[in-house]
Amino acid sequence: MKRRAILAFMLDRPGVLNKVSVLIRKKMYNVDTLTVCSSRVEGISRMTITLREDDQAKVDQIIRQLEKFTEVISAKELDTDHSYWREVAIVKLEVDAAHLESFRGRYNFEVLDQKEEDILIIQLAGATRQIDSFLEEVGRQYIIEIARTGVAAMEK
Amino acid sequence: MTEKQIITGKNLMLRALKEKGVRYIFGYTGGAIMPIFDEMDKLGDFHFIMSRHEQGAAFMAQGVSRGSLSTDKPQIGVCMATSGPGAMNLTTGIADAHMDSIPIIAITGQVTTGVIATDAFQESDVIGVMMPICKQTYMLLAAEDVEVTVHEAFYVATTGRGGPIVIDIPKDVQNQSVSETYRFDAKTFRPSLPGFFYHPTPEREPLRRAIELINRSVRPVLFCGHGVITSNAGKLLQQFAEKVNIPIAFTLHGLSALPVDHPLSLGMMGMHGTVEANRAIMAADLLISFGMRFDDRVTGRLSEYARNADVIHVEIDPSEIDKNVACSVAINADVYRTLHVMLGDPMLTYKPRKRWFEKIDSFRQVMADDLRREIECGVGDDGRLLMKSIVHQLSVLTEGKDLIVPDVGMHQMMAARFYNYQTENSWFASGGAGTMGASLPMAIGIKLARPDERVWSISGDGGFQMNIQELGTIMEQQIDIKIVILNNGHLGMVRQWQTLFFDGRYAGTPMQSPKFGLIAEAYDIPYRKIEKLDEVTPALQQAIDHHGPILLEFVCDASEIILPMIPSDGGFGEMIVSRPGQEKTATRKSKGGKS
Repeated sequence: MKRRAILAFMLDRPGVLNKVSVLIRKKMYNVDTLTVCSSRVEGISRMTITLREDDQAKVDQIIRQLEKFTEVISAKELDTDHSYWREVAIVKLEVDAAHLESFRGRYNFEVLDQKEEDILIIQLAGATRQIDSFLEEVGRQYIIEIARTGVAAMEK
Repeated sequence: MTEKQIITGKNLMLRALKEKGVRYIFGYTGGAIMPIFDEMDKLGDFHFIMSRHEQGAAFMAQGVSRGSLSTDKPQIGVCMATSGPGAMNLTTGIADAHMDSIPIIAITGQVTTGVIATDAFQESDVIGVMMPICKQTYMLLAAEDVEVTVHEAFYVATTGRGGPIVIDIPKDVQNQSVSETYRFDAKTFRPSLPGFFYHPTPEREPLRRAIELINRSVRPVLFCGHGVITSNAGKLLQQFAEKVNIPIAFTLHGLSALPVDHPLSLGMMGMHGTVEANRAIMAADLLISFGMRFDDRVTGRLSEYARNADVIHVEIDPSEIDKNVACSVAINADVYRTLHVMLGDPMLTYKPRKRWFEKIDSFRQVMADDLRREIECGVGDDGRLLMKSIVHQLSVLTEGKDLIVPDVGMHQMMAARFYNYQTENSWFASGGAGTMGASLPMAIGIKLARPDERVWSISGDGGFQMNIQELGTIMEQQIDIKIVILNNGHLGMVRQWQTLFFDGRYAGTPMQSPKFGLIAEAYDIPYRKIEKLDEVTPALQQAIDHHGPILLEFVCDASEIILPMIPSDGGFGEMIVSRPGQEKTATRKSKGGKS
């Protein structure tokens, strides 16, 4: 199913996140990713929700219902052609450092920590697909732990 | 500081309610709401009405909001309850108000802030529970937030599409005092909600296209929804219909927006709507809908709904547009303003539509004789009374001018179909939620909002017993409502489905009722039981002549059904117009359904 990103700005009030997640559950979606952060304007939060839906009418319906919330200032869908979707992954992995270096150039990562010779914590930012392919190329069997932020998106 | 100068959360709560013109407060006290009740009693500014169950209070509040919206002094119903079970008992009435877009304010006491989230005595997560079933929730954590919140709550409740608001206030916040520098000016207050706006005025371009479609249409139907009532646009809709000569079909909530016997009226549409309304919708090339949301009880199976028709959808809530039925022209605006602008448009043209009305007249004939015969006969095969005949006699006797508050079920559909509504905003039903037990408490609120008009609470034997305890409120307050029980010994509507779709297996529908006469006596309410046809009109007349509440129990035929019927999730083509086994069968064989 097609992955969709919805960007919403809303008042930073208690319970807003609950409201949004209740709506998504009520519409019977499983949230793919959901990120909330403060926006440029104090008191206004920015939320990016990704979920999977092929039917455009259903996505439009969610957006209208989001907009209906008293606290929501605006909500819109962002498509991949006209916006950047990025996430950050922090990965703890057991891999030969030299081998890891061979990925540099194709992947933009930063070593945060190296406790032992072959146990590293790295930070990797990029599109979801990029992070997925990095993990595949490194080999999932070498990954000890992974933390991903979920998608943050911005219009071009 | 002297005692007089101390202003607390409870003072501010009541001050804000008074400022917003609240006269009645319905509720039930308890540990966590006691400070506000105590203050209310001291002030004496409000008429407090104690319900016998919190659900009753929520429906009474609904009654005030629903009843008064067409008066020159609209009021918002307010109900109050304590924490935990008190608040939880409000939920059904609040969810019901949410489904029917009724603005009410529910104020719940909460345990003190120090013990919140510790599973304290009578604690429940009121905000968590209420959030999905109301328009907005607020939890007050400081006395200084009380006034601004209550004023915002009233604004949100009544702006755009109406809805219920829940304000949860911990006990210590009720007693908390505000600082000496605290100031709030209700007159200059504007809520700070940058994303909360609505479009009351229609845009020009969709209006132009709408008028073009209307002028071009050969077989149009106008839809009168709840929005016509809530924006007080009944008369405008009537003028509009007359100006363009287009028939009008009503949703359940659109009833009583204009006289239902108007020559252009098709009556109610949908599952138990009239043949003429539903067949006209099937045959239409244009549907012009005002203030409605194309509920499943209105549309039946969506894939078959009005396939050959363009749809013009005038609706204040943008999230309703294209939700169930895709429209050709969307007008996101207030119904009253839209009609007002449209009526002034010189392009709008009158068309005789002779063939269309001839066709509609043929639809009117499909069930006319059957219904007339049933109403005139007045009794079923077992000699017991027919609900439709009782409602018809009530309609004749009161000239269709009284206020009707049905409960939910078969009698509700009978009251929707066979009362000849003449008074604007005179039909008050739990529609979206379909809450049995709504009628008795809602009628109390209606009567308080419209004291000079006669109010009939019409229930079945099932629904009546769901809020039967409110007879206590009626007794105590001497609320002059005429209570009618149409007792068929069953949950009639479900029984009808069982007759039609479950091979007549009556699982869980027969019910034994108490001697309602003894119940009435216990509450000091006059009572009359009516079993014979010739007693119906005299009994109704007795209720009219009696000053004060009275209870009439009509013993009805359990096998009576309400037709036509479109099976749940069925298409309009599957409309059942006669009992199975009788001459006229369904257009197509109906499928089983579920409620």
